[in-house]
Amino acid sequence: MLTFFERELVEKRKWLTHDEYIESVAIGQMTPGPPIVNTGICIGYKLKKIKGALTTVAGQAFTGTVLAILLAAFYLKAKDNVLLISIMKGVGAAVVGLLLSVVYKMARKTIKDYKTALFALAAFFALAVFKLNPIGLILASGILGLVVYGRRTK
Amino acid sequence: MILLKFCWILIVVNALTIGGGFVMLPMLQKEFVEKYHWLTNKEFMDAIAIGQVTPGPLTVMNAFMGYKIYGLLGAIMAMISSYLPCIIIVTLVAKYYYTYKKSVIVISSFNGIKPAVIGLLAAVAISLGNTSLVDPITFGIAIISFAVIAFTKIDPTFVIIGAGVMGALFL
Repeated sequence: MLTFFERELVEKRKWLTHDEYIESVAIGQMTPGPPIVNTGICIGYKLKKIKGALTTVAGQAFTGTVLAILLAAFYLKAKDNVLLISIMKGVGAAVVGLLLSVVYKMARKTIKDYKTALFALAAFFALAVFKLNPIGLILASGILGLVVYGRRTK
Repeated sequence: MILLKFCWILIVVNALTIGGGFVMLPMLQKEFVEKYHWLTNKEFMDAIAIGQVTPGPLTVMNAFMGYKIYGLLGAIMAMISSYLPCIIIVTLVAKYYYTYKKSVIVISSFNGIKPAVIGLLAAVAISLGNTSLVDPITFGIAIISFAVIAFTKIDPTFVIIGAGVMGALFL
């Protein structure tokens, strides 16, 4: 998706310079929210300000949303269908594999020393064993990050 | 009231999705499934699959859940609430990029959040695994899916569709 953006917007249409593009990708990755969505919003904003940002969101969300609504309507109607139940059993198992692979990929990128490993383990036990609220846990890990890394990054 | 609460949760969750789209899952599961019981674990898992196989970001799953909880209006409001914080935050950051990039507060808090969300996501994977991995075949599908997505460049969408076919044939 990102290489596609670059080819279309930078090389073919020359709407953005390469540096602006790189900056947009960076912003997408360092802001809260799905990175691809945010990169798109950033590019839209650079091109046409707030109108551009809104248009990009509409464009990015439209097809998927319409499909999701259609699938949801179908899903609710066919909920008791034997074939759909079998299909979703297989799909559910694959989702677990998918999540584990996301965990694996994120861990390879982010867990670099005992401190990062400790953050991950603590969060895991806080949710899996103590059932604490993930919103609170994310806020807490941000504050802890501030305490642990706040001075050194200056 | 349910709709307002639903939208508010999505706004908060999307503002805290730091480190990739999947990071919203632990928060959504806690709020929608465990706290408010708007969805079952199984339906939540199906929503993830839908988000993955539809074009566009995983966020699309929020439209699916919105529809399940509150119909068409729920789906539309879900998308608006999911994108609203992104639009506000990104346009602000685009304006003040250099200040933001060097901000000690942003960098150090993200340094704490990024490894933590991995642990959260692992916990969610296990919780969903308890629901969906019930026999050797489902275990096998999960392991193969993991291996294919983690170690090859095959798109997860095809893995999920493939698993659906396996389900139709064997489960």
